Amino acid sequence: MTQATRMSEGINPEAPRALAEPTSVTVRSRQLKALSYLVLSIFSIFYIWPLYMLVNTSLKSFTDYLRDPAGVATDPSFANFTEAWELANFPQYMTNSAIYTASATIIFVLTSLFVAFPIARGYFRGSGAILTMYVVALFLPPALIPQFQLILNLGLYNTRPGFILLFLINPIGMIILVNYIKSIPKELDESAAVDGASYITFVTKIIFPLIRPAVATVTVLHAIGIWNELILPTIYLTNEDYFPITRGLIVFEGVYGSNWPGIAAAVLMLMLPILILFMFLQRYIIGGLTAGAVKG
Amino acid sequence: MAIMNKNYLFGSTSGWKRLAPVMLLVPGVFLYIMIALGPSLATTVYSFTDASGLRGAPVNWIGLDNYDEFLFQGAVSRDNIDATLRTLRFSVLVTFIQFTLGLILALLLNQKLRGRTFFRTLFFIPVILGVVIQGLMWKLFLQPRGGPMATIFEWFGLQSEFLGGLPGPAFNWVIVVQIWANVGVTMVIFLAGMQTINTDLYEAARIDGAGGWELFRSITWPQLTPAINTNFLLNIVGSLQAWQLFLVLLGYKPGTQVLGYLVFAEGFGQGDSPSFRQGFAAAASIVLFLLVLVIGFVANKYVSWREERYMG
Repeated sequence: MTQATRMSEGINPEAPRALAEPTSVTVRSRQLKALSYLVLSIFSIFYIWPLYMLVNTSLKSFTDYLRDPAGVATDPSFANFTEAWELANFPQYMTNSAIYTASATIIFVLTSLFVAFPIARGYFRGSGAILTMYVVALFLPPALIPQFQLILNLGLYNTRPGFILLFLINPIGMIILVNYIKSIPKELDESAAVDGASYITFVTKIIFPLIRPAVATVTVLHAIGIWNELILPTIYLTNEDYFPITRGLIVFEGVYGSNWPGIAAAVLMLMLPILILFMFLQRYIIGGLTAGAVKG
Repeated sequence: MAIMNKNYLFGSTSGWKRLAPVMLLVPGVFLYIMIALGPSLATTVYSFTDASGLRGAPVNWIGLDNYDEFLFQGAVSRDNIDATLRTLRFSVLVTFIQFTLGLILALLLNQKLRGRTFFRTLFFIPVILGVVIQGLMWKLFLQPRGGPMATIFEWFGLQSEFLGGLPGPAFNWVIVVQIWANVGVTMVIFLAGMQTINTDLYEAARIDGAGGWELFRSITWPQLTPAINTNFLLNIVGSLQAWQLFLVLLGYKPGTQVLGYLVFAEGFGQGDSPSFRQGFAAAASIVLFLLVLVIGFVANKYVSWREERYMG
């Protein structure tokens, strides 16, 4: 408390009453803040502790873990990481995941761009119908079973191309692109057409840079979806050489059952790329997930 | 050409030739119909057959037999009906708790607090990690012998086998992990909604002497209507269809299956029998779909009614 306030309280009998209102408000708001921090801290425990447990466990030896599962790693080592990396065929799994994610995302974004642009502009008769086709997909039965029959009968079961094929579509991504392109002025098209720019050049060199935020959102969401996918590799891939990292990790867990230090190290290796991506592209990820959610 | 609109650029003398746009449109649309739309519609057809997962095996039309087996065969149908009821229970609990917690977190983090970016990021991170990491993290956290949660339980003199124990508690733990993993989305949607509220409204109400609860009731809640509706619908539909955490956390554990998992287990030989009963699985997925459709429809009606009431 400063000298001035102490004096005013002591000397001037009117002052405390005059101050009473604002003071009680600040006390209240301070209490409210303290309460907020308390609630947030309790919540955070359940987000930080599992993460800490994962890191801590990954640094322990198996015997240390068995002796005291939750205790702090007294003799931390990275042995589990190298072991999991070599034992579990991780380089192969990681490479597979990277191949699937990159190729499917690139093909998806490229093909979608050339669908989204003309239908956003209404350049075809039936553009509206095509867009509707993407919207209704969100309300139709799951495609799981017939999709499997299709891939099976095409002879693409348990092959890399067949697996990638499954990830070349994303109706929500398409809708995000279409909505964003609608905000780009149409006059651009007209002047480009008059100037004699070819269609491909126009879409890739002029439209693409203008809709980069939407493309970034769609790319990141699509890529994370593929990277994290567990069910489709379980269904479509039986050859271990083709396994992505998610599937590989579940197999690893099955084989190494109670070797939690090894599993924890493996989980962290799967997590790292996503976390790095998230740090840089957080804006686009959250933007994509809340797109259109609050406009009413 | 018939598919072109007259007044647009293609085919006009100064505009683009029409061939390129059409040729470039086709791959995307073709892929979409082949992989998503077509199979989605074909699910209904498959549900009337005895399709298996064998290449070239005959597929016979068996009418409503799959539905009959799912619903009306007494003891045989028991598991399916239990799974359906469990799906509903899972959905109600997850929707209600996730919605409430998401709202509370958003309200807390919409204040000017030091470190709020940190908290927002922290609560959002599980969303992007996917079911494998989410599940394995919690399997480790819930180790019955010496794991962190077991330690917390010990403080209160409690004991639990967590995921490895009875179906009831195991099921409830999946609910916990499901909410833990997804509450971040609910939170950011609420936060985005709160950012669209005009702060002048609060100022005016405060001058009129409104307190915290009144501000929430008369301004935040009605103004938040679009975000509330989105979260409500997303949570309902999402939780009815969620099942992958069950796979990672429990496997096909008797007494815990939900419909989505049943479809996968029956269709791809992951359940009690190793055969691929894809016709039956298709029927089960139609049942799930109808459930989502009906509940989604009712929820949507309710939501539009609310919107009219609050937003005019």
